[in-house]
Amino acid sequence: MTLTALLLVAAALIGIGLYGALSQQSFVMLMMGLELMLNGVLLAAVGFWSLAAGGAPAGQLLVIITMAVMAVEMAVGFALIAAVYRNRQADMTESLDTMKH
Amino acid sequence: MVFWVFSAVAVVAGWRVFCTDSMVRASFLLLVSFIAVGAIMLLLNAPYLGFATIFMMGVEMMVMALFMVMFMMNPAGLNPMMMVHQHRFSIAAGAAAFVGLAIAIFTTGFPHDPVAAGRPVIHDLGRELLGPSMLIFESAGVTLLATMVASVILSSRSGRFGAADEGSVPPPLEPGGEPAGRRPDDEGGGHAHHHH
Amino acid sequence: MTLLIASWIAVLLFGAWCVAVLDNLALALIERRSAAGALTAPLYGAAALLRQQQNRTEAPDLLNWKLAPALYLGLAAAGVAVVPLAPGDILADLQAGIVLWGAVEALTVVVVFLHGWSANSMLALIGAYRYVAIGLPVMLLSMFVLIAAALPAESLAVSAIVESQRSLWNVVRQPLGLPLFLLLGLSLSFRGPFNYADSADLAGGTAAEVSGASRLLWEFARLAMLAAVAAMASTVFLGGYLGPVLPGPLWLLLKTAALLIVLVAASHLFARLSPARMLTLLWVVLLPLAFVDLLWAGVVAL
Repeated sequence: MTLTALLLVAAALIGIGLYGALSQQSFVMLMMGLELMLNGVLLAAVGFWSLAAGGAPAGQLLVIITMAVMAVEMAVGFALIAAVYRNRQADMTESLDTMKH
Repeated sequence: MVFWVFSAVAVVAGWRVFCTDSMVRASFLLLVSFIAVGAIMLLLNAPYLGFATIFMMGVEMMVMALFMVMFMMNPAGLNPMMMVHQHRFSIAAGAAAFVGLAIAIFTTGFPHDPVAAGRPVIHDLGRELLGPSMLIFESAGVTLLATMVASVILSSRSGRFGAADEGSVPPPLEPGGEPAGRRPDDEGGGHAHHHH
Repeated sequence: MTLLIASWIAVLLFGAWCVAVLDNLALALIERRSAAGALTAPLYGAAALLRQQQNRTEAPDLLNWKLAPALYLGLAAAGVAVVPLAPGDILADLQAGIVLWGAVEALTVVVVFLHGWSANSMLALIGAYRYVAIGLPVMLLSMFVLIAAALPAESLAVSAIVESQRSLWNVVRQPLGLPLFLLLGLSLSFRGPFNYADSADLAGGTAAEVSGASRLLWEFARLAMLAAVAAMASTVFLGGYLGPVLPGPLWLLLKTAALLIVLVAASHLFARLSPARMLTLLWVVLLPLAFVDLLWAGVVAL
């Protein structure tokens, strides 16, 4: 297991996540794409910490903060979905069209 | 070898998230991807972070699955479904992100400084969180508190300008058509309604 | 090592059998009938399930449906693996053993949901939903209780938590911890007052459509999970293998058995609240109690 291989896996996760975040019409699926990207970020951060930074404690801190970001993303995301659903009765990105007209 | 197995599981499960018809399956495939990444973290001498990823994501994906079933039109996945927009652009963007990152990875020289065996990494993390980086850690805590307040405000039905679902109509089946499905003021009718 | 693996399997099998026997005894006591055959009844019941035909539903998610009982048992086994039997005798001596236990709790909720969801049957799905609603907050408060127990040890390793109790058991140091953790035991194996998943009012809930060997594995995993929680609770709060005169593993066995009697009695003596009331109780009363426990532990540790 080299750092290069690890980062490639992380890049693959980020790529798939970006595809999901851009392509999905449902807000929840869109959030899944974001989560997958953050999954790649977590992996890359732990990889750097473990193989290139000699276990500097701040590296682990970065991972904890990323997890907090994921929790914030989930909570605010779900709250927004609930708000959109109340207003439009749909969980589709296309239903938010008021700014278009 | 173990690393490659977990990597393959993480990537394949991550990819299948966007191919399955069932939203519940999608959330748990994402959970499988997270568990595989957590297992790789365990291989990388990060025991706390590995297990923490697994349990945090276990809870998150469980909640995700519940929301999926609440809001989606095909929660059971019994009908084939493909709900995507700008599909080709997204594939291209995802591929471009991967290729770009891969080029960056291959053209960068990384230092080789693995974590020493027997280093008390969990102890290190605790000292860091409540020592030099306490301000950062506490800001994360305050941010989470603000998040809780914000999500309650955003998702509550009543608000300053009346109920959030006032006058809301379901989206039409085709653009510009009649609203499909249930209207909020039909609630309590208890039988099928026909919209003309 | 071989001995450790053998005792690990024995804990699961023997623990599950003990819980089943205790269940029979409790029922016999409550119904005022003779308890004859209580020791062998679980084995006959298992044999009867093995001879049963496997039920099928329309369009189930077969993979998850068949896998869920095995995963559930695997989680119980993973939980037992971090329990030290004697100083140094621990199957998985992890630096973050208590966090592994946390992961076991979280994934149990997922597995029970999958079991109910994958059958593609209404009552099973309702059981799964109810279980998630109740199981998540119970899991949350058990996390606070466990963090509090790890505080005096200044370590996340289960062996260090046991050693930190040489002078004083955690049950005395943090009296709120043990009762709150026992609630988790009832919730993880959905028994008695916390049986929202597989209850009789849902004709068996998540297991309503399951028969034969799968059902046997599921019920076995439920019993083994309760034994795992009791072993963990006696380790974290009652000093585990610590005790005078008798050898360490025997002390652990005695403490676990005592907790199992309490758990089985609680599951037969307390009535179940309606899910909405239970949610209020959990979020408004018990979760703040878990905070108090954590604060208490912090003040004591200072």
